[in-house]
Amino acid sequence: MSTDFQCTDSADGLVLAGVLDRDAVPVMLKALARKRPAAGARLVLDLSGIVDMDSAAVAGLVTAWRHAQASGAEVTVHAPSPVAQRALQMFRVPDEIIPPPKPPGLFEGVGGQVIEGLRAGRDFLRLTVDGSLAVLAALWGWRRTRWAHLVEQCIYIGSQALPIVGLVSLLVGLTLAFQSAYQLQQFGAAIYVADLIGVSVVREMGPLITAILVAGRSGSSIAAEIGTMQVSEEIDALKVMGLDPLRFLAVPRLLAIVLMVPLLTALADLLGILGGFVVGIFYLDIAWSAFATQLLKALNAFDLMSGLFKAAAFAYGIGLIGLHFGFSVRGGAGEVGRTTTASVVASLFYIILADSVFSVLFYVIL
Amino acid sequence: MIPGHGTAPVVETRQLIAKYGERTVLRGVDFAVKPGEIKVILGGSGGGKSTLLKHCLGLIEPAGGEVRLLGQDLTTLKGRAREQLFTRIGMLFQYGALLGSLTIAENVALPLVHHTDLPKDVVSEIVRLKLELVELGHAEHMLPSELSGGMRKRAALARAMVMDPEVLFCDEPGAGLDPLTSAELDELLMRLRDRFGMAVVVVTHELMSIERIADSAIMLVQGLPVADGPLDEVKQVDHPEIRAFFGRVAAGEMRGSRSALEILTGRG
Repeated sequence: MSTDFQCTDSADGLVLAGVLDRDAVPVMLKALARKRPAAGARLVLDLSGIVDMDSAAVAGLVTAWRHAQASGAEVTVHAPSPVAQRALQMFRVPDEIIPPPKPPGLFEGVGGQVIEGLRAGRDFLRLTVDGSLAVLAALWGWRRTRWAHLVEQCIYIGSQALPIVGLVSLLVGLTLAFQSAYQLQQFGAAIYVADLIGVSVVREMGPLITAILVAGRSGSSIAAEIGTMQVSEEIDALKVMGLDPLRFLAVPRLLAIVLMVPLLTALADLLGILGGFVVGIFYLDIAWSAFATQLLKALNAFDLMSGLFKAAAFAYGIGLIGLHFGFSVRGGAGEVGRTTTASVVASLFYIILADSVFSVLFYVIL
Repeated sequence: MIPGHGTAPVVETRQLIAKYGERTVLRGVDFAVKPGEIKVILGGSGGGKSTLLKHCLGLIEPAGGEVRLLGQDLTTLKGRAREQLFTRIGMLFQYGALLGSLTIAENVALPLVHHTDLPKDVVSEIVRLKLELVELGHAEHMLPSELSGGMRKRAALARAMVMDPEVLFCDEPGAGLDPLTSAELDELLMRLRDRFGMAVVVVTHELMSIERIADSAIMLVQGLPVADGPLDEVKQVDHPEIRAFFGRVAAGEMRGSRSALEILTGRG
């Protein structure tokens, strides 16, 4: 606290002297509050003895002036020292204080969210239609399509995801096999591990694991990349160059993800089954030929094709969701992070929802 | 098409109204740019300068009024015709907006690759010519992230000019540049105007730059034009914002606010 500040009473107010800085302001305000001028009264602050003054002191004096105005009184400054004059001269005081915007009420808030949700839904539908048309147009006019960019995307979404998809699928296959072996052994039906692993991996776990990993890895990256381009005006730059951002950015990503995810799923199927195979051979002592025969008996082409079809459908949705969130970014870098996270959550929700729909559909078909 | 022909405005807005949500940013702006002139859009922060520029480029749908670019109504123009129209304009964004995944040469070549059937070697030669013009011949194979802010901006200018546009739009061309680079950029804009008859629309606050390049100017205050015409005439208009902008009065004084001294001593 400043020790060089003195505040003494005078006949019509206060005499302030010494260093009026941020430490002295509370002392001054307390003294002013004690005086509490009545409506119509005038309180004079003598600043002739001020030797130094900072912006907090100016703000303190203006605050006292505003409070007095509000209660119909008046606070004025008398004979400010040259130092005080310079400080007071430097800052300008807005005539009116603009109140902060009112937070929306409950109904307004809920209504706003609903409208926002409907708008996002409309934008997503529009993107789905326009994006799909752009993909078709790119395939039709394949000569003008940026194939190099598509290859780049395939390498990122496909090749670079091989290790993680492979490893996770192998581990899931092992775990599934161990869990089922424990139950099946009790009934002397250990050989049916092959059926269980085969069908569950090919129809369900392979596409699901691949889609979840791709959503976390590539869906988020699409959202972040497009979002960053949106923030740095690269999307606007494409528009003013007469280039359609959908055709330029969305098509290679959508094509790459739809091509790569079924391939990754095929790998996930293979490694998932390998996990079960390892458990069958080394833990359950099933002959490899018996395991293979049982597996081939259990699986049919429909299982494989339905799994790969599901994978492609998951992939298209993940791509569209990533693009939708990326293109919806407004504002700065913080918004990119928030939107990327939201895109992953939305993709995961979509994968589970679509998987449920496919399960019901395939059950009905079979 | 060779730019610089005709006398009809190359950019024109009539009673343009722009809104962000409930907030009205432009309140009926009439604006025109003649071929071969450098027109500067002036105004304080939040005055609607960049919004006007974005409307002229069709990046934002107007809430009301009309926007014509090279004689065509942007509000109704769609598809291929719109894409074709954009091959006749160039835009220099505030931070360059170069595509980060492409090299400088690929960035500059982008419009040529997509809108022309020129052989690859001719495209490369055009790119080299444009990069030399902005003294970036050595940066052809570099990525935008490997360049300084000033170099990025010059590369973006090369990209904006690659189709020999009839109108070049520039958003704060001197922002973030040192005075020398900024002056060089201004010099280049004037050469483009003089040699190719290109119209240039510039949003800027930089007084030195304005004095150097502007043929005419429009001053926006709270979404309304308070002066429009040759720069010398605009500077003489008796309006507090214009007086403040050209440094004839302090900004606070212009806004009508009083100093703490005036308030506390009861003067003013």
